[in-house]
Amino acid sequence: MKRRQLYLLGTVLLLAFAGFAFTSFRQTLTPYVSFDEAQRMGRTLQVAGALVKGSSSYADGALSFTIREPKTGQTMRVRYRGIKPGNFEDAISIVAIGRYAQPAQVLDADKLLVKCPSKYQGIEQTEVKTYG
Amino acid sequence: MDFLARIYLPGVLALGGALLFALVALAAYVQLLGREDDDATRAFARRAYGFFVLSVVLGAGVLFVLLLRRDFRIEYVSQYSGAELPWFYQFSAFWAGQKGSFLIWLVAGSLLGLPLRRAAGREEAPVMGVYLLTQLGLLFILVRESPFVMLSQTPVDGSGLNPLLQDPWMVIHPPIMFAGYAASAIPFSFAVAAMFRRRYDRWAHLAFPWALGGFLVLGTAILMGGYWAYKTLGWGGYWGWDPVENASLVPWLLGTVLIHGLHMERRKGRYRRANLVIACLLYFSVLYGTFLTRSGVLADFSVHSFVDLGISGWLIGLMAFFMLGGAYLLVTRLPSVPTTKSEDPLLSRGGFMVLSTITVGICALVVALGTSAPLISRLWGPPSQVGPSFYNRVNLPIALLVALLLALVPYLSWQGNAPREVARRLTWAGVFALVATAAAGFLGVHQPLHLLFVLLAVLALGSNLQKTVDKVRQGGLRAAGGYLAHVGVGVILVGFLASSAYDQSAKVTLEQGVPKRVEGMTLTFNRFVPRNGDQKERMEVSVVRSNGSRYLAYPQLFLNDRTQQVMAHPHVKSLLLQDLYISPIEYDPGEPAAARRLHLRKGEEATVAGTRFRFLGFDLNAEGNALQAMQQGGVVAVGAKLDVVREGRTERVLPLYRFTPAGEVDARPLPLTGGGEVLLAGIDASSGAVQLEVRGVEPRAAGPRPKLAVDVTRKPLIGLVWYGLYVVLAGGILATAQRLRDAFVLERAGV
Repeated sequence: MKRRQLYLLGTVLLLAFAGFAFTSFRQTLTPYVSFDEAQRMGRTLQVAGALVKGSSSYADGALSFTIREPKTGQTMRVRYRGIKPGNFEDAISIVAIGRYAQPAQVLDADKLLVKCPSKYQGIEQTEVKTYG
Repeated sequence: MDFLARIYLPGVLALGGALLFALVALAAYVQLLGREDDDATRAFARRAYGFFVLSVVLGAGVLFVLLLRRDFRIEYVSQYSGAELPWFYQFSAFWAGQKGSFLIWLVAGSLLGLPLRRAAGREEAPVMGVYLLTQLGLLFILVRESPFVMLSQTPVDGSGLNPLLQDPWMVIHPPIMFAGYAASAIPFSFAVAAMFRRRYDRWAHLAFPWALGGFLVLGTAILMGGYWAYKTLGWGGYWGWDPVENASLVPWLLGTVLIHGLHMERRKGRYRRANLVIACLLYFSVLYGTFLTRSGVLADFSVHSFVDLGISGWLIGLMAFFMLGGAYLLVTRLPSVPTTKSEDPLLSRGGFMVLSTITVGICALVVALGTSAPLISRLWGPPSQVGPSFYNRVNLPIALLVALLLALVPYLSWQGNAPREVARRLTWAGVFALVATAAAGFLGVHQPLHLLFVLLAVLALGSNLQKTVDKVRQGGLRAAGGYLAHVGVGVILVGFLASSAYDQSAKVTLEQGVPKRVEGMTLTFNRFVPRNGDQKERMEVSVVRSNGSRYLAYPQLFLNDRTQQVMAHPHVKSLLLQDLYISPIEYDPGEPAAARRLHLRKGEEATVAGTRFRFLGFDLNAEGNALQAMQQGGVVAVGAKLDVVREGRTERVLPLYRFTPAGEVDARPLPLTGGGEVLLAGIDASSGAVQLEVRGVEPRAAGPRPKLAVDVTRKPLIGLVWYGLYVVLAGGILATAQRLRDAFVLERAGV
């Protein structure tokens, strides 16, 4: 009898944990979206674009730069307060993860993923994937 | 023969030979199945396996020699190496690409097979058969995507190695990682062999030391990777929950589950079915992680950005083959696996070990699900990944539970205990944990969950430490391995919490020479230190801590010569209780000081801001005889002998002016010891005068000064993460030594 109660307790705990894990999963998902969608969504998301050469500047502890969406040619200003990635200038494509700040018209990025030119991978052109 | 012109024959022959010998060895081991006394077949199979290893090693040797010779005809060499890459980084170039990393994986795997075939004893035929299948999978990829493809045109130079990989850690970290991956196939081979032969009584004993060894090797590789990311890459931390990192963590967690499961099976003869499943899952997780990180499906979600090499199909095929085969065996065999029916009492060592093992297994599952998010989320919307906060949140309750269970396990017996007795034995550890928690609260930890975390982690540390000491007193160090490893886990948990939840960071822009208070310290950017030989450009920042002690920090920020990438390395000062992490963000050289032009005849002098320049005369022999060079039409170098007098000290300098008859001029500024520089801008042979440009000797004018932006982070107790891991690995080594001895004793006895 006692053992059955313990199993029951274990199952309840496991289910509770599964629910907790599932909601955490849904809440921390950062969808990969187009620039258009990014400006409409008020949540953490990620966008990818090509760095517009010469658009980056550093002021007040933040790195700012512009990226261009390959498909539409749309541009977006990105602000990043972290440590500048080592191969930033060299990037062909930058993935910015963050939230779009409507009043400032800028994507506040928490994290940047920098894609180096494919010369290190030995393939002439890396297609920049876009979704949405 | 077009085909022959496109391949490097010795390398292709070596890999082809390896394929041949592997197939021969596999056929011989199949022959040997059920005829274990056939010594001739066994000897033949072993010899074939030996030749397989030899061919693989030869193939790797050929690639390495090609890299050392910088043979840019070879596509792989031209992609990852360069004329100026030092020889020791040719190792990094070896495993910088996909093909090379599969090759080093195969090298490690084939070599591990040598001791394995002896250790497997009477199970040699089935175990080596399965193990050879896993090796053949890698070999097929390498034959299909050969690293020995030649280019139709030989480039003058290679593309060079990604500067991020030009680091001593990259020379040793990847091969150890791949050795760990290779080792994961061994418990799998034992499990499959056991199911195939329906002989379940010995596999746990035989596989145990290998599972432990693989766990150690993979753990070492993860430790190195974290250390590299923290100390050199300047990623700001040791762990980023990146898919590539997770792909090594999941097998390590499953390895943890497996060694505990095998331990219990050896002791109690229980959990046999679970262990068979886990041994298979461990190998599947390695295959799946390889697929995720190497096929390009996560290319947009990882800093380690891998592109699809066209091997996705192969990887999927490999996964499907092993997973379906393994699953088929599990489904058909598990129902008939003999097990003991009795159950452990809950409050017993067995009961708690099962609970904690399940918890670690759940942790592995959660990490695997999080890493797969870009694939899973495709089911209902755009592919999305989960942020680090997912892992941190979900793993917090897991860590709490593991810490609690670890604290109790040492004082439980296999037969079960009375709760009162357990509590009595935990008194000392409990007091210790309460004191530590109170101290943490005093030092600024106020969140109830965090306080509970400290309490349980220190309790686990204390109780296992006490048990380790007891064991050492009783039976020597070797019996203490497991407890020692758990002490390490407690230490790591405290380090995790302190360094991730209680780090403090600030970004500041430091103007040269102006002290600034940051995080209770005073930072002053002294100067930009130019390149000096092998020492790259760096920034000198003096740091005065709140207790008055001071040190000089040298964060690095420099351009890579070949790629013109800006490279940044942090400066890490490790103190007893915290690390001070100074990461350079941006350097602004300010406005260069205006140049003063001086026109001096021989013997004349002029003063710039209190510094006197006197022109003593030309030096026509500064670089060989200038007149002779002029007649021959080569590069003519003329020096100007100058005395520079500043604050009563005289410095004799010789700036050079080089020119060719074609009119090319090369004049470089010469730095002066007291600051500033002088450049010989022109010579007037007819009047015997020189044109000098003097910069930077005057105290700075109002123009903008050089500025350095840095990120300053205090990471409290981060050292505990490393020390804890060392302790875990040390415990693991002790345990492995013990089990290896057991296994050999068992084998000798012919059980």
